[in-house]
Amino acid sequence: MNERQIVLEVNGKEYKLTVKPNELLINVLRERLGLMGTKYGCGVGECGACTVLMDGNPVLSCQMLALSASGSKITTIEGIAQNGRLHPLQEAFLDEGAVQCGFCTPGMILSAKALLDKKPNPTDMEIKEAIRGNICRCTGYINILRAIKTASLKLSERSR
Amino acid sequence: MEKRDYHYLGKDFPRKDGFARVTGKEVYPSDVALNGMFFGKILRSPHPHAKIKSIDTSEAEKMGAVCITYRDVPDKYFNVRLVSVPRSTYMDWQILSNKVRQVGEPFAAVAAETEELAQRAAESVKVEWEILPSYLNTEDAMNATENLIHDHVYLEDEKIEIKNNIACMRELTEGDVTAGFKEADVIVENEFVTPRVYHCQLEPRSSVCKPEPDGGVTVWPSTQALHNTRILIGELFDIPLNKVNVVRVTGGGHFGSGIHTNRVILINVALALKAGTPVKIIPDREGDIYEHCRYPVRYTLKVGAKKDGTLVAGEMKALVDIGSHHIQAFAFLGVLVGWWHSLYRCKNLKYKGIAVYTNKAPSCAMQGYGAPQVTFGVETTMSMLAEKLGMDYLEFRLKNYVGLGETFWGQGPTVRSTIRSDGVEELITRGAELIGWNNRQPPEKKTGRYRRGIGMARGFHTSGTGAPVPGEVKDYTTAMVKINEDGSVDVLTSLMDQGGGTLDAAAKLVAEELGVPFDKVGISPADTRSTGYDVCTHATRGVYCGGGAVLEVARKAKEVLLEYASRILEAPVHALKTRPDLEREQGEVYVDGMEEKSITIAEVAQTAMNNDWGTAIFAKSHRMIACPPAFTTFFVEVEVDTETGRVTIERVVAGSDAGVVINPSLARGQIHGGFYRGAGMALLEDTHYDEKTGRLTNLGLLTDYKMLGPEDLPDEEHFQTFFANTYEPTGPMGAKGIGEAALNPVPAAVASAIQNATGIWFTKLPILPEDIVKALRQKKEGIATFEPEKDKNHTIEREFLKIRSF
Repeated sequence: MNERQIVLEVNGKEYKLTVKPNELLINVLRERLGLMGTKYGCGVGECGACTVLMDGNPVLSCQMLALSASGSKITTIEGIAQNGRLHPLQEAFLDEGAVQCGFCTPGMILSAKALLDKKPNPTDMEIKEAIRGNICRCTGYINILRAIKTASLKLSERSR
Repeated sequence: MEKRDYHYLGKDFPRKDGFARVTGKEVYPSDVALNGMFFGKILRSPHPHAKIKSIDTSEAEKMGAVCITYRDVPDKYFNVRLVSVPRSTYMDWQILSNKVRQVGEPFAAVAAETEELAQRAAESVKVEWEILPSYLNTEDAMNATENLIHDHVYLEDEKIEIKNNIACMRELTEGDVTAGFKEADVIVENEFVTPRVYHCQLEPRSSVCKPEPDGGVTVWPSTQALHNTRILIGELFDIPLNKVNVVRVTGGGHFGSGIHTNRVILINVALALKAGTPVKIIPDREGDIYEHCRYPVRYTLKVGAKKDGTLVAGEMKALVDIGSHHIQAFAFLGVLVGWWHSLYRCKNLKYKGIAVYTNKAPSCAMQGYGAPQVTFGVETTMSMLAEKLGMDYLEFRLKNYVGLGETFWGQGPTVRSTIRSDGVEELITRGAELIGWNNRQPPEKKTGRYRRGIGMARGFHTSGTGAPVPGEVKDYTTAMVKINEDGSVDVLTSLMDQGGGTLDAAAKLVAEELGVPFDKVGISPADTRSTGYDVCTHATRGVYCGGGAVLEVARKAKEVLLEYASRILEAPVHALKTRPDLEREQGEVYVDGMEEKSITIAEVAQTAMNNDWGTAIFAKSHRMIACPPAFTTFFVEVEVDTETGRVTIERVVAGSDAGVVINPSLARGQIHGGFYRGAGMALLEDTHYDEKTGRLTNLGLLTDYKMLGPEDLPDEEHFQTFFANTYEPTGPMGAKGIGEAALNPVPAAVASAIQNATGIWFTKLPILPEDIVKALRQKKEGIATFEPEKDKNHTIEREFLKIRSF
């Protein structure tokens, strides 16, 4: 198959990569760039564990060809802490006990981040809607919802 | 012993592994990457029951792939689950066989340099099948006399012929049931059916294996039992155990599906050994759904009581559809009666259980190990009896529950111990207050389309499987505690943290015992070459048994530390105490009553090192002599839409008796999660098979395996949790378990709430909207119990009669 050159900006760093036309974004992130925080949970776009942000929007990296991501800005879980400081969502997930096995956590945090970036003070329904595509089998979602609310408060205080 | 003021126990700290988990740095089996690593693909059967006539892997090999079939693996029978002792472990597994017993059963595997090549190689393998008759339900399976799913299995060295696809049976009688029922003023008898739930742990069970130059292997598997995985690999591949290293990596969820060594791991080892290079296998989701599920149980339960509410007799007959292989159904049949008998006192009881093979995914432990299944029927029966006797549910339960000072055997008849802490009354009384039990209205008073109902159920899980006299289940943990030269501490065990905070609890117990700041206690990376045996992190035993072992070892390490300190402080050991000095961020040793005479733990450790005294270190195996019940009670309020049958969970009050609670926030998280999975089992979750093709009707897709989502659970304000004020005298600093107890009564509580809303008892799970609508129609005709549809030719009674030995 004809390999092609793509350019990806991942977590603020630019990568020039040669990829096959059938190569998935998740595999490029995990195997080529070593960003193992993006998780493989089902491979068919049902569980949300592979969620990353593409130009700020949540996408399922197991359903996206690396080719079609070319030219975009990708954010993975490894890229949201700033200068060694955890993102308020990461802090809140820790403080509110929203992490159990942790396998859904990266995708969940990124879905929540996409929401809070657009809507700093979402309603409960909007939060639930935003994470509907992210399955968590451990927590029963209650502490996750609380963590997202806590982070939203923290973020809006900060922007004041 | 009683509660005291703790520095760390009962207080919340961010979990130690949390930073890695929120930053994407935690390593799960699927994240392990090694130089020269191949990718493995498993070939799975398209047929429910078939023999391989011929298999041709030559195309795949031409592509450069390494292939294994039944010809390339050791021809040995085993059981994947090594938690029970050998004399009660039936062996019917082979790593790969020339016979497949379910759709999705692995029959070959390939490994290649890239995932793409492995996939293409897998697709090139040609198989000629001889199709055998398949049995997709217990009736067909038990009617079969030839073409059985297994012809024979092994129990230790004994070869056992299988008849009618019956995997094993178990019975138990106590007292005189016939006489007991004669004394009864009321009798309630029903048939209950519970679903074949899929664990749906978020990470498909993955594994990485590296062949080592010394002939050994290093494995990074998805498992709850590092040491059992190691022992099985050593046995099957004839590798000395000191060359089998199984490394602890975090599992992306288990819920019981990692108690046994999943076959993926064994295939992984076989592939890597043949390839001579590391191999990684990440199964796809469809493959994973065919690997494991919760034991579905169909059972009759008959219980009699006297007018004053005393239970006089009980009889249970259970039929368990175990699927294609034995993941210890014998032990499972034992616990079914254990859960029942340990919930309510009843001196006359009779129990029979049968486990039947079918051509479906093998069923195994899932949170509760039979307790949610049994608690559903028992709690429903208790409420029905109370109603018949005109007693309040709560009063009836308080009169009959097995509590303080009584013997219980939740883990089956061979694991008996005495209850020494009992928060049941507190859980029931406080829960009732919080939900407003006294204002609860009977179903007759409810009208209109939307009807609210309040229900309740209680239950328990054992904290581990220990007893004064060891039973069928192994139950010890080995730990090491080492005090470092800067006063920090390393804790080394092969316990797993499934997400509930087991290892944080272990660290807190050590911090508390040694008197060092919590953040100075570290959990060391673990593997089987550097740790001693631990049976498995299962059975709600992490905190009680695992924590118990770690605490015991910390005490011994502290003895060494204090002996060194007494030389320095020139005071006898018994006069020395320790405590954390938070200003100096150090633990310190001081002379009791002369607190100015003190020294930091770091100084003691350094002095001991520089004087050649040694390190304050200790390692030991430790077994707990009980498995105290972690009690829970759930009060649930639902709203039922009588037109659509939709059930909305409006409010939950969950009480837990976990003894001294070590990690309150994480323990609450366990309750939330337990409720979520329990409510899913009550209302939604099940797997079905197409009887013609033998395939799962969800086709291995999660979109067609419905689970509750964030919008289906009550908000935090409507989900109250509380803990009973108890102290478990045998537990580490008073603690018991919580994990599985957080789910066990949930399906029963939801069913009870639906009954209060609709007036109908549902005896089959999940309670689907269409069942509710249908039942409401039947109710107009005066039927108040909605039973599972019965095939008159296949009643449990009839099935049991077929088996002469019963």
